[in-house]
Amino acid sequence: MRSFLLTLLFLVCSLGCEDVIDVETPSTEPRLVINGLIRVDRDQEFLPVKIRVTETSNFFDQIPVTQLDNALIMYGTPLPDAPELFDSIAFSNLAESEPGSGIYEPDPTFDTEQRIRNSFVDSTTVFILIVENKGRRYLARTPFSPTVPIESLQQDELEVFNETLTGVKVKITDTPDIKNHYVMDFGNAEFETLDDQFFDGQEFEFSYFYDDDNTPEKGQETEISILGADEQLYNYMNLLLEQTEETGGVFETPATTVRGNILDATGIDNNNLFDNSGRPNEYALGYFAVVQEYRKKIIFE
Amino acid sequence: MVAPFKKWPSLLFVFFISLSFAQERYTINGTVTEKASNETLIGVSIVVPALQTGTTTNEYGFYSLTLPQGEYDVIVSYLGFGDIKSSINLTNDQKLDFQMVEEAETLEEVVVTEDVERLDIRKPQMSVNALSTATIKKIPVVLGEADVVKSILLLPGVTNAGEGASGFNVRGGAVDQNLILLDEATIFNSSHLFGFFSVFNPDAIKDIKLYKGGIPSRYGGRVSSVLEIFQKEGNSRELKVNGGIGAVASRLLVEGPIKKDRAAFLIGGRASYAHLFLKLTDNDNLAYFYDLNTKMNYRLNDNNNLFVSGYFGRDVFSISESFVNTYGNSLGNFRWNHIFNKKLFSNLSLIYSDYYYGLELDFVGFKWNSGIQNFNVKYDLKHYLNDKLQVNYGINDIYYVFNPGRIEPNSTESGIVEEQLTKKYANEFAAYIDVEHGISNNISLNYGLRFSNFIRFGQDEINVYLNDDPVLFDPFTLVYREAPILGTTKSDRGEVLKTFNNLEPRVALSYTLNGTSSIKASYTRLAQYLHLLSNTSSPTPLDVWTPSGPWIKPQLLDQYALGFFKSIKDGDYSLETEVFYKDVQNRIDYIDGANLIANENIEGVILNGQARAYGLELLLRKNAGDFQGWLAYTLSRSEQRTPGETTEFQGRTIQESGINNGEWYATPYDKTHDLSVFGSYQLNDKWSFNSNFIYQTGQPTNYPIGQFEFEGLTVPYYGPRNTERLPAYHRLDVSATLTPKKNIGRKWKSEWVFSIYNLYDRRNAASINFRRNQDTGRNEAVRTSIFGIVPAVTYNFKF
Repeated sequence: MRSFLLTLLFLVCSLGCEDVIDVETPSTEPRLVINGLIRVDRDQEFLPVKIRVTETSNFFDQIPVTQLDNALIMYGTPLPDAPELFDSIAFSNLAESEPGSGIYEPDPTFDTEQRIRNSFVDSTTVFILIVENKGRRYLARTPFSPTVPIESLQQDELEVFNETLTGVKVKITDTPDIKNHYVMDFGNAEFETLDDQFFDGQEFEFSYFYDDDNTPEKGQETEISILGADEQLYNYMNLLLEQTEETGGVFETPATTVRGNILDATGIDNNNLFDNSGRPNEYALGYFAVVQEYRKKIIFE
Repeated sequence: MVAPFKKWPSLLFVFFISLSFAQERYTINGTVTEKASNETLIGVSIVVPALQTGTTTNEYGFYSLTLPQGEYDVIVSYLGFGDIKSSINLTNDQKLDFQMVEEAETLEEVVVTEDVERLDIRKPQMSVNALSTATIKKIPVVLGEADVVKSILLLPGVTNAGEGASGFNVRGGAVDQNLILLDEATIFNSSHLFGFFSVFNPDAIKDIKLYKGGIPSRYGGRVSSVLEIFQKEGNSRELKVNGGIGAVASRLLVEGPIKKDRAAFLIGGRASYAHLFLKLTDNDNLAYFYDLNTKMNYRLNDNNNLFVSGYFGRDVFSISESFVNTYGNSLGNFRWNHIFNKKLFSNLSLIYSDYYYGLELDFVGFKWNSGIQNFNVKYDLKHYLNDKLQVNYGINDIYYVFNPGRIEPNSTESGIVEEQLTKKYANEFAAYIDVEHGISNNISLNYGLRFSNFIRFGQDEINVYLNDDPVLFDPFTLVYREAPILGTTKSDRGEVLKTFNNLEPRVALSYTLNGTSSIKASYTRLAQYLHLLSNTSSPTPLDVWTPSGPWIKPQLLDQYALGFFKSIKDGDYSLETEVFYKDVQNRIDYIDGANLIANENIEGVILNGQARAYGLELLLRKNAGDFQGWLAYTLSRSEQRTPGETTEFQGRTIQESGINNGEWYATPYDKTHDLSVFGSYQLNDKWSFNSNFIYQTGQPTNYPIGQFEFEGLTVPYYGPRNTERLPAYHRLDVSATLTPKKNIGRKWKSEWVFSIYNLYDRRNAASINFRRNQDTGRNEAVRTSIFGIVPAVTYNFKF
């Protein structure tokens, strides 16, 4: 909800003028980045596991891909009274799909099936990603986050200062009585987060307006999707959007390192707890999550 | 009802009896007014040269001076007015009212009160700046709209978070740490149009005073500064109208007698046509503000005065009716001045004020109304014991109702569920005593004590957390998040949830080196119980206030200041230099990505940190002659930090990482160097010229130390907070005032003000954003600048 407001505040205040300037940005040691948002269509047989690994680079340089020495997903259902223990656990070994691509998928060269079957997954399933890169071990833990379908999409418009913003009106029905979080993907790197604080259990309709530069092309089919999210992913996406959206000066929120759920587990003695405090500078960027996704298409006119 | 009050002040001060007198002493007292309008004058000096003693009139124009028996000349002086010399034979108590006549008839005459700006080297009061409306109206500003807040930014130690930022920052303090009083009532948001203009109509204002340190104990509740604004009382001699037509807004003010010399009214309005300025040419979009000032006063008799004043202001934005935003302050104030006797002056104020914020988002089907209401009772006494000793004391009680918001669906189709966020209730009580004590001819002391008590009352729902800790630190990913709510408890409105008591001592001393220079030092402790929840560089109208309570502690300030003051050429020039150090405990900070809007468990995103600031200020002023002005320079540092706590997690000790890894970081309004020069030149009766120049170190900002991609988003990756700076900020503004010759001898008087803001069209950066250009696919740094060169014309008139 807050990004709706901040975006509009910015529109109201964008009296100023913008120009591109030369800035020399500092450089620092590259850090591992894991893009592991796995979007699950429940009608498919297998989960589309795909983990992209890169390194950070200077802001004005290309982003280099990197390779992993080892990559593995463990999954199962934790015991209700001891969440660090699993009643049974399954493994999915990952391998680079094409050499040098930095994309890791379930290893097809294994004797046994390494892909994860949709039928093994339900809302109690927890996934753990373990990767090794340049002698360090990283680890992330995430639950499976279900979602609700998009019921309808409709084109919408908003007149602001003689400019017409293109938008889309989305209708969903929230699952009642539980706290739900959603991440909406409108394409062209346009996201919005939602929580059901003010529409718990309701049929809810809202409009989203594209940034002028990111407006989808007319006549072309655009796919819009809704993703499930736990509170942690919701917070992460919120912070990511907050750090990338332009609010122009006075409404800027403090810049911060957007830390995801990937921690540096190298040398940690308590393998069940992964307590990392006291090592605030050892981590990887990015996020690992397994979420349900529903898609719907719209053609903008 | 008067009788009980007569007794206790004298009882309270039995301990001052030690100051016994060899001679019979008598008191002169009275009120000083301006002859033409009968408006009381603040800060007029009443001096007895033979005794090298004197006093000044208080905020209500009252003075009292006790002297040994004898014959004296009394000189009453006020800059811009002719001196009054009066010979008195003091053999009994005397009531002497003075009426002052202006030296010259100019358009600005009604508001000439420049004497308030003069430096008083003997008084221990330091770190205070006063501005008259005449000066405020001279300062060139963007779009020619004379502005109180923009004017004080030219003073040393005062800055803000950039063009268009709301509010102001004093000595490295935050915007919510300023106590803004309009006729003694608290204003919660001082900005119109987000931050481009302030809410004070300059026509309705008599003068303003800004305390940056050495804050007297009659003030409390905010830790950084006090901006005290007095509205005019109204002309009780004749009907007067003045107004102006400007590029942004037009003003009209009418004042006049209800009953000649006894009762007067003042009513002033101002409205903007900012939607034109925003180039919103189609009718669907609206953006405007307006405000209304009213005041009535009634002089019942020599000893009793009644005042009723009111303010109402609103900002309205509407975009295609999809986004409607309304906010503003309203306040009403009833005051009773009562003079018990020649030495004892009192004022009772009953104040109601509220701040309203409303928002409607049609595309989400959502309506939100929030606000803060308060009821304030103040009783202040000023006891002029003798010419060396004045004691001020009083009590103050404020009851607050905070409404964090009521959410409603805006139509029947909306899926929004109606919800009232839990209202919060609190009471703030304070009692103070403040002594102005002339120890010897060289040494003056000001000492006082304020006791403040804050009670947070019961409310409908209070969240229950594990270990009573609303913020959860994840020891794996080292990220803070809101702790899960285990349940809620309900408490009665009369129940006390949490009480805070604070003793706030204040001491100030001045040591006069010779007739023209002095050294002053002060220590101030202040407590602040309300916090503005704002996580942006500058507050937005969306930000709500929240009271201290079970999880949020009151902010506590200690400030030390030391200064050297010199009056040159009989006060024509003055030099003020000060150094200060301040430290604020319990300054709140927010977890990364904190949701502050309509958040029912706000305590879950707040961490208690600390803030500090230190610096050097210099102010050189020229107060007389055709050329007047000042040079202000500040060298300072403003920082805050929020270290992580040590907590237990599953039997293990966890060191939380805090904000910015617990390291100090520069606040968004930290400006190392801040230079302002203001000059005003009266060429002849027809033309006068004004100019200001500002140079400031660029605001702290962040440059990415790297980048990464996540799901197609290019994310700048930042290191420690606020380590870089925007380019330096500077600009030159000029204005010229034309007073047509034909004004002379006629009732209708007018003037034209031509101004140019940012004369050399400097592109000052309001921010630098780092983004991916969607067309080129390349990353770029984008500078946003708000105002280029802005010319404006304003027409002022009065009759």
